[in-house]
Amino acid sequence: MKLSLLKIAVVVVLTIAGAGCRSNEHAGAKQYFVAFSQCNNAEPYRAAQNALMEKSFAVAGNVRLVIADAQQDNSKQIAQIEGFIRQKPDLLIVAPNERAPLTEVMGRAMAAGIPVICLERDITQPNYSTFVGADNLAIGKMAGQLIVEELTKRKGNPAGNVVELRGLLGVEAEMERYQGAHDVLKTYPNIHFVHEAVADWLQSNGRDRMLEILRAEPKIDVVYGHNDPMAIGAYLAAHDLNRHNQMIFIGIDGLGGPAGGVKKVMDGVLTATFYYPLCADKAAEVGLRMLQESGFKPDHQYILQPKLINTQNAAEMYKQLSF
Amino acid sequence: MTDLTASAAIQGPRSQSKRRGLLRSLQSAIGLVVIFILALIVGPRSSSGGLVFLESGNITDILRQVSEIGVIALGMTLVILTAGIDLSVGSILALSSSIVAVVLTHSDGTSLWVIAWAITAAAGASLLIGLLNGVVIARWRIQPFIVTLAAMIGVRGLARWLTSNTNIDIGFGQDLAATFAQSLSTKLVVIGSYACLSVILYVLLSKTVLGRQVRAIGDNEKAALYAGLPISKIKILVYGMAGLLAGYAGVLHAAQNHQGSPNAGMSYELEAIAAVVIGGTSLAGGQGSIGGTLIGTLIMGVLTNILRLNNIDSNLEMMLKAVIIVAAVWIQKRGRDQG
Repeated sequence: MKLSLLKIAVVVVLTIAGAGCRSNEHAGAKQYFVAFSQCNNAEPYRAAQNALMEKSFAVAGNVRLVIADAQQDNSKQIAQIEGFIRQKPDLLIVAPNERAPLTEVMGRAMAAGIPVICLERDITQPNYSTFVGADNLAIGKMAGQLIVEELTKRKGNPAGNVVELRGLLGVEAEMERYQGAHDVLKTYPNIHFVHEAVADWLQSNGRDRMLEILRAEPKIDVVYGHNDPMAIGAYLAAHDLNRHNQMIFIGIDGLGGPAGGVKKVMDGVLTATFYYPLCADKAAEVGLRMLQESGFKPDHQYILQPKLINTQNAAEMYKQLSF
Repeated sequence: MTDLTASAAIQGPRSQSKRRGLLRSLQSAIGLVVIFILALIVGPRSSSGGLVFLESGNITDILRQVSEIGVIALGMTLVILTAGIDLSVGSILALSSSIVAVVLTHSDGTSLWVIAWAITAAAGASLLIGLLNGVVIARWRIQPFIVTLAAMIGVRGLARWLTSNTNIDIGFGQDLAATFAQSLSTKLVVIGSYACLSVILYVLLSKTVLGRQVRAIGDNEKAALYAGLPISKIKILVYGMAGLLAGYAGVLHAAQNHQGSPNAGMSYELEAIAAVVIGGTSLAGGQGSIGGTLIGTLIMGVLTNILRLNNIDSNLEMMLKAVIIVAAVWIQKRGRDQG
């Protein structure tokens, strides 16, 4: 028994020590330690964000980037940031899981003299050196405008039935993508939202909800998904019932890679999607300037613009977004 | 006859189980010491050369971080000692944090009584659900796993319904809600109340008749029944306390996160069970202690802290924790079999 215990202990010590040693690898040149607290690695958008972050900092060559995953848990993210504060990184980047819970601890990081970049989701007080984000309300409005254009193109005038698949309720991105589209479409009396369902951002739920909706609604012209996976799930449901040619599917996020929305536009599954900026490249660019240029003072915020992806530019975007 | 059985059920195993309990607590304590030493060996050093792990700020960080699970684990210890289980505590935490936030953000009053009322409402609701769990388990004789599984689902739904699926933010301004969050989220209050509750539960379990009765039920429910113990009442009380403690953890959660959230506390019940089990409490009931649970909670907390200070991949963290849980229980089992 003692031997086995010893074995376990040895393995544990070696794993931790091994991982810990990496911090001392480059002792010579000026090395920067950048800590990135990511709210949830499990989301595809976040995974792409991490990959782009790693790529963008790798270019500099003298940055050690550590990414911590909070697994969609506020308390966990607070604890992780507290751990980072103890380690005093040269730069802290936080993609907050939610606004209010993370505000205070980010203030503590600032108070400890650590420059902080707030990524993609704003917090309730400006407890950061700069904010890098994108505009979900604008994306919602662009989606609304696209629905008007597509219906006009197909039917001669802006009229038709729209199904909306919503993300996790209570999440800001969901609310703004909803609000933006409705702000545009409420001025068109002949465009009706005939059905809306909550599919929690998931492809499987999108498919399930859409199957129910297809049973209930004989006439659907547009499916608007708050993200690509839900719109793709809806397409699969319509395909099952051989009704996919009667309607068009619009998504949001425009991720690269074989499972992303851009590929689905190329494949003709989605009519269009909107690239929601990953923000990581901009954060890395601003962050590197903060580290290397002594006089550099970042803007209070950098708001990046979304972009329409349709059959015309999908192939080119696919190349750009593969990393 | 009754007297004899009573002494068999209560007095008999007392000294024996005390010895065994001490042994198990000792084993858990050794585990904690091992992890502590590990932290000293592999922990990173700050620029001034000191161990980051030993900074007083870091130690209190750990205590604050484990406090919510810790408070839940105290109640879970009682439940598991009766050979029961409570899966609903994570949902109760969510409900409680939601109720606090709803009351605070919806009341116009400015007196501190509103804060007291918000906390009372949250704690009251949590106590009520705990008691309800206990009543169904004790009176209807349905397995605790099933009853609290149902409560876990139902209470989560209740919390979401109450808040219309939204998180209710508590601001940072001058209003009552902000006062609540700022005063209850200080390390002094969070760690202090966790310590007080631990002492209370320790005294309750090891120095009172009720504590002995709780163990007796878990050790041998039939014997306890024949000994004339009010089994139903004790079980209802135990589940009520587990609910109340989860409710208090919810109040702390709302204050510390500046938010009442119906999605909070997911899988907290499992983390609490893990802490209790690592602390040497047997899922079969009857054996275990509050001291062990405290140690179990700290083992998980210190381990998490040291892994994060070393920036270990969180997936690796999960795998390591899995090994530790099984290893801890295996070692205790070996100790029990040999003893």
